[in-house]
Amino acid sequence: MADFVMEARHVYKTYGSKNAKKAKQADTDIYVGAKQVIEAVKDVSLQIRKGDIKLIFGPSGSGKSTFLRCLAMLDIPDKGEIYLGDECLTEPGVDLNKARARIGFVFQHIYLFRHLTALGNVELALRQVLKLPKEEARKRALDALTEVKVTDCANKFPAQMSGGQAQRVGIARALARNPDIILLDEPTSALDPELTGEVIDTLRDLAKEGTTMLIVSHEMPFARDVAEEMIFYDEGKIVETGPPSQFFNAPSTDRAKQFMTRIINRTTRE
Amino acid sequence: MFDFLLDPTSQTWIFQGLLLTVEITLFGVLLGLGLGTLLAIGDIYGNKPVKAAIAVYVEFFRGSPLFVQLFLAVYTVPAILNMQINHAILAFLVFGLNSAGYQKGYVKGSIETILGDQMQAGLSVGMSKIQTLRHVILPQAYRIVIPAWTNEFCSLTKSTAVLSVAGFMDLVGAGRSILIRTMEIIPVWLVIAAIYFVWITGVSKMMDIIYEKKKIPGIELLMQ
Repeated sequence: MADFVMEARHVYKTYGSKNAKKAKQADTDIYVGAKQVIEAVKDVSLQIRKGDIKLIFGPSGSGKSTFLRCLAMLDIPDKGEIYLGDECLTEPGVDLNKARARIGFVFQHIYLFRHLTALGNVELALRQVLKLPKEEARKRALDALTEVKVTDCANKFPAQMSGGQAQRVGIARALARNPDIILLDEPTSALDPELTGEVIDTLRDLAKEGTTMLIVSHEMPFARDVAEEMIFYDEGKIVETGPPSQFFNAPSTDRAKQFMTRIINRTTRE
Repeated sequence: MFDFLLDPTSQTWIFQGLLLTVEITLFGVLLGLGLGTLLAIGDIYGNKPVKAAIAVYVEFFRGSPLFVQLFLAVYTVPAILNMQINHAILAFLVFGLNSAGYQKGYVKGSIETILGDQMQAGLSVGMSKIQTLRHVILPQAYRIVIPAWTNEFCSLTKSTAVLSVAGFMDLVGAGRSILIRTMEIIPVWLVIAAIYFVWITGVSKMMDIIYEKKKIPGIELLMQ
């Protein structure tokens, strides 16, 4: 069973008004009132083995982030199962806090704890979740900050850091607990272009160390270099899966082909 | 005119009155903050019956005069419970419960400005909702709530004047007693007002300093 670090089986997630479910049952129009019902995840399955580096990409609004959040149980799927190792997280009565402690999550908009320094941000879960003694938590937090090369920010508050520094602290916060897997939701897309490089470098370092990662990203050079598998996601579904070479040379679906052309054109123009 | 200030009896009354006013206000705002926080969290996360109960509580304490609440507590609560309860204890409780009705709103407003991303971040590192509230949300919410809390303190301090009507020797009660002895209407109330003014201004200034000191470093850059 424990072949996979994380597995999603036929996951569904619908977003929108509270009447969404009612509307579905009645099989009426998917517009309820003025609010649109978005089917962000429709029957998505995915397996991740230890050491895997997979990259999800696709048009904005297609539900990639929602799927990632479902994997971390930050959004609860409507249907389907999420496994973390042997444990089914979607079963009732599972201690989700314990499960989330084994999953690292990096947010697009970083979401550092605003009232804590970089060190405090990394330390908090080590103290409160892993219940480490003060000294050990401090040491591990510093190690994590060193790993992402932001020790110079250790005593700075989030509002005093650059976006790139803050996101690397975000990665350190996710890393410090030695999670089974790290999920990264567009870790560079909210950053100024000149700051994405430092975050990408950090991710490359993690990749070299064999960190299991599932990354939502459109950083194509990075994807080509480190991803073992790329997953093209559109309209709530996985459209095509394959090694980077497949996507960069000849995607098998038209949607992926179109999308790759657009992305590559954009990258070369820059 | 101000001779009564030299009179030991008047001095004692003023001192006792100030002490009661200060004690009941501090107790009231602190109980109000603790209970107000619980009510705010209950109102955000509770189910419908919990929310309805909180709404009834809040509207009762905000919607009726403190004066009436005080009389109900002092005269009807012991009768209903059929036991002797120290009036001062009941008065202290009324001030705390009343303040909670107001502070619930302040605390809830502050929590809600922070809740979205910070709760997500807290859950993502494996903390429970309660841990995240305690270690992430409330430390930030309390910083934001300080100015509103200072207003509540000022307002509650002056509300203690109703105590004198219910027979307590608060600051206004002291003024009334001195008045009966001296008949110096204007001087007595000027002195009482001055004491309120000094105490309230002092605490408010202190809270302003704490507010500035406790601001999260760098956050002012984001607000510009």
